[in-house]
Amino acid sequence: MEGLIGKGELRIDAYDKVTGKGLFASDYGNQFPNLAHMKALRSPYAHALIKKLDISKASALDGVIYIMTGYEPGLDWDQFPKASIIAKDETLWAGQIVALVCAETLEIAERAVELIEVEFEKLPAVLDYYAAIDPNAASVIDPEYETRPLGFSDRPGDRASNRVSPNVVGEFKMHAGDVPSAMEEAEIIVEGEFWTGKKTASPMECANAICRYDSDGGITMWSNGAGVHGVIKQGICRILKIKESMVRIIQPYMGGSFGSRLNPYVEVITALMCLRTKKTVSFQFNREEVFTGAPSNWPCITKVKLGAKKDGTIIVNDYYLAEEIGACVNNTFFSGRLSSSGAVPVYRFPNLRMDTCAVATNTVPAAEYRGLGCPEGEFGIECLVNQLADELGMSPVEIRMKNIIDKGERDAFGELITSIGLKECLQSVADAIKVEEMPDQDAGAWKKGRGCAVGGKQNTPLGRSEAEVWYNSDGSIQLFISCDENGMGATTALAQIAAHEFQVPISEVKVTKGDTAITPYDNYSASSRTTYNTGNAVILACEEAISKLKIEVARVYGLHPSKVEIKGRKAILVGSHVQEVDIPSLFAPTSMFTQGNWGLQKGTPVIGHGLFCPAPIHQWDENGLSDRVWNWFQYSAAAVEVAVNEETGQVKVLKIASSADTGNPINPKLVEGQIEGGIHMAIGFSINEEHVFDGNGKIANANLSDYRLPTILDMPTNENVHAFINPDPLPDGPYGAKGMAESITIPVGPAIAHAIYKAVGVRVTGYPMTAERILALINEKKAKEAAK
Amino acid sequence: MRFDKYFEPTTVEECCSILKEYGSDAKILAGGTDVVPRLKNKIWRPKAVVGISKLPDIDTIAVQKDHLVLGAGARLRKISLEKSLEKDYKVIMEAAGNVSSMQIRNIATIGGNACNASPSADAIQGLITMDAIAVITGPEGTREVAIADFFTGPGTTVLNTGEFLLQFKVPAPKPGTGAIYKKFAIRGDTDISIVGVGCRLTLQIDGTIEDARISLAAVAPKPIRAIEAEMLLIGKKLTTELIEQVGEAAANSCSPITDQRATAEYRKEMIRVWTRHAVEEAELRAKSS
Repeated sequence: MEGLIGKGELRIDAYDKVTGKGLFASDYGNQFPNLAHMKALRSPYAHALIKKLDISKASALDGVIYIMTGYEPGLDWDQFPKASIIAKDETLWAGQIVALVCAETLEIAERAVELIEVEFEKLPAVLDYYAAIDPNAASVIDPEYETRPLGFSDRPGDRASNRVSPNVVGEFKMHAGDVPSAMEEAEIIVEGEFWTGKKTASPMECANAICRYDSDGGITMWSNGAGVHGVIKQGICRILKIKESMVRIIQPYMGGSFGSRLNPYVEVITALMCLRTKKTVSFQFNREEVFTGAPSNWPCITKVKLGAKKDGTIIVNDYYLAEEIGACVNNTFFSGRLSSSGAVPVYRFPNLRMDTCAVATNTVPAAEYRGLGCPEGEFGIECLVNQLADELGMSPVEIRMKNIIDKGERDAFGELITSIGLKECLQSVADAIKVEEMPDQDAGAWKKGRGCAVGGKQNTPLGRSEAEVWYNSDGSIQLFISCDENGMGATTALAQIAAHEFQVPISEVKVTKGDTAITPYDNYSASSRTTYNTGNAVILACEEAISKLKIEVARVYGLHPSKVEIKGRKAILVGSHVQEVDIPSLFAPTSMFTQGNWGLQKGTPVIGHGLFCPAPIHQWDENGLSDRVWNWFQYSAAAVEVAVNEETGQVKVLKIASSADTGNPINPKLVEGQIEGGIHMAIGFSINEEHVFDGNGKIANANLSDYRLPTILDMPTNENVHAFINPDPLPDGPYGAKGMAESITIPVGPAIAHAIYKAVGVRVTGYPMTAERILALINEKKAKEAAK
Repeated sequence: MRFDKYFEPTTVEECCSILKEYGSDAKILAGGTDVVPRLKNKIWRPKAVVGISKLPDIDTIAVQKDHLVLGAGARLRKISLEKSLEKDYKVIMEAAGNVSSMQIRNIATIGGNACNASPSADAIQGLITMDAIAVITGPEGTREVAIADFFTGPGTTVLNTGEFLLQFKVPAPKPGTGAIYKKFAIRGDTDISIVGVGCRLTLQIDGTIEDARISLAAVAPKPIRAIEAEMLLIGKKLTTELIEQVGEAAANSCSPITDQRATAEYRKEMIRVWTRHAVEEAELRAKSS
């Protein structure tokens, strides 16, 4: 049978999802007639003292079961996910929980929230990087910062020294080569400061969890959170100090994550309420809470200075980056290292200096969002590479072909690049959009322009993935995995891998997934690692099962196992009187006469187990350098044609091409889906999506009417969307595959920015590139021209 | 969402008596696209909700000899697709068709859009442009109010407690009239307007503007007319300079706020831009009418 790798197999969850038969976490609420409901009272102010908090009237309301506040005894709030820390004395962002009610019905819970008497005293707040970095800014972080233990951080250097402002709470520095000397050598220098807006991942399903109080005092949870083992179960056991045996986490179909559900801000607090009340409880965020009470991304501010030779060879990059992380109290995660990682694997910077930090603000605590800060961190670099090309009279394609790092080279950290197909990616998108030619213009207000950019994203080694596979006595296959299925289709790709290994059609493989009582450990699905990490584990599991099966078959026929080949239901034998055997027929039926504790037996599967964990990273030296900082790199290029309205400043993407270096794709159809979804998401945050704050520092557009996610009408029409795959096989990937989902969003923004420049002659320095901002730039340019 | 009583009166008299009984504790439900979210979010906590969809002819759309009758309960989508309006009342179709998504237009009504009295409402812009008259009924009988006087502020109208909107009467335009409504929003109709501009021009045979209306959405506490801009137009022929001046006058006549959808400055600038376009296109329509 021909292999299944590289085939566009139909998603195994397609039917369930399209017909509405698939169950999502909140659907499980129907099972519990006495389900209790949680509702949060949230701070309306970005920064305020809680002068009074009186829950007596609310507690007295009939049907109220429990009200939790920041004064709840026996808890160490510092250990909780940031977005679920209940305010005590002081609120740090508008949307922080002040009290959490549990009641017999949602309506009672809502009435109880209204009955809580609370008085605030507004304090000065810092809402963005520029306000927070001021040396005299109001401090978001408690004064104990300097003395706090670093918690779980294993990265020395994350503690900020000589802080510019009280809100700087982490830093990272690296220096490769000699940046000052190289800057002097440079024949042309371009520089700029770039910003990005604050955005919220908007999966269709709002965050939610249902937690059952079991008769033995344990808990069973259904949630749409990511990482049943590594994030949720470990989080609950560590923070609430309960035995691992007493916690079971089940992840039904997930209605999306984009990284936002990698943080157990619903699960830990829901488990806590369940344990306190001994009731089965449900905590369902509404859409407003997804904006104000769930983590946002972290915007980045970059200051970039590139030096190059006249022939376009870039020789130096002096790079500053700040991650704006919201109200992440006791930060042990952010230092700027994550977002700045994108500056390294794309271009051959012989001289690179990075000075990065994390800055806290009075906004919702930040957490993972597709790309881990790389789209934000690479925006400035890509804009300046385009500017460099313009100033040197080169094409944006040509200058990149000269500077993109090649396979076998080492990046500025000193890491070996083992797989990169970026030049091919760039060429394919540039050709599709004809990015080096100018589009035809008409006399109307809409001016057209084309642009391109590239991006790269590291894969972080994030621990173990395990898989278990059963070869059943009837020849059917069962796969047990615990990776997340955010919607990307990884489950299908993994089933495809198992089917390929056993040489059966994918329909023969049944997947059981995401239940900590049943499926083996997987840390979590992040950093585009599932196909790579869990994929390798699935291959290992299949290999083990096949090898055991060969031994069993060989025993029956008196052969060495190497003389047996497994092809689905069939075993092909070499050197035997039998050439081919139907494997299920070898499983002996259980009877008084045939039972035994060895050999193949009906009903007892042959089981294989696989465990895969990438190699750990190496501690960097005093210059921030190391030969293993990350694992491998995914790449993407994008080219666009946009129309810009000179009167209104509106930007429309008319055509887009995106290409992914996925390594060898397991399922190209799924990759295309990821490319198209990634484009859509990136168009949204490049042009429209951002938090807008009211006078109290509350998000004023915390709804899907005013937070302008792109609709299908904001996408270019089908014939104008081009998705390409330009693989460079990853040597350590399953069949040469690597992850790709994050890289797609990186180059879209800077490609749009350059297309805007080509259309109307203004250089954008940040995103979202809203109509107002573009119009302001156009007017500024007109005023300058008029003054001449 | 909780209230004590839900009524569905079948006669105007019955409706009046319910409204009289409950006074300000009653809320009228037409399409429900504005009322229901407010009930859900407990912004309103009425004792009674009065559905008006069973009232006779409440959803009528009837072109008569010298005017058009639009029942308060006429659905926006139906108005936007009503062929009989195309000749004289196209702007009313367009403005109704600019409200939100098709799903919303399928249930939202012209009366609801008016009584909700949002400054950014699109459908009522067509009515203002065409000098519609609101027919109001209540315990004291029936009265008529010019649409320009109907709104008193954000979310408020001239409707007294116990009164409700029955229908609009829209006078038929004179020959040589063209009208248009321009909605400006980032994601098209789905978004709430950043600004909206309605314009009606009545031209004499030689192209001189005999009458002009310019109405503006989302740039003041209520929908407004740009009277100075209208005055600039009347008695003149349209030129590039005049169009510029009219845009400027319209921008000067508004007092927008900065909110999550746009800044005040941007709104003013967009009034300038879209007034120019509206005037130009209204003239084209007037010429071809």
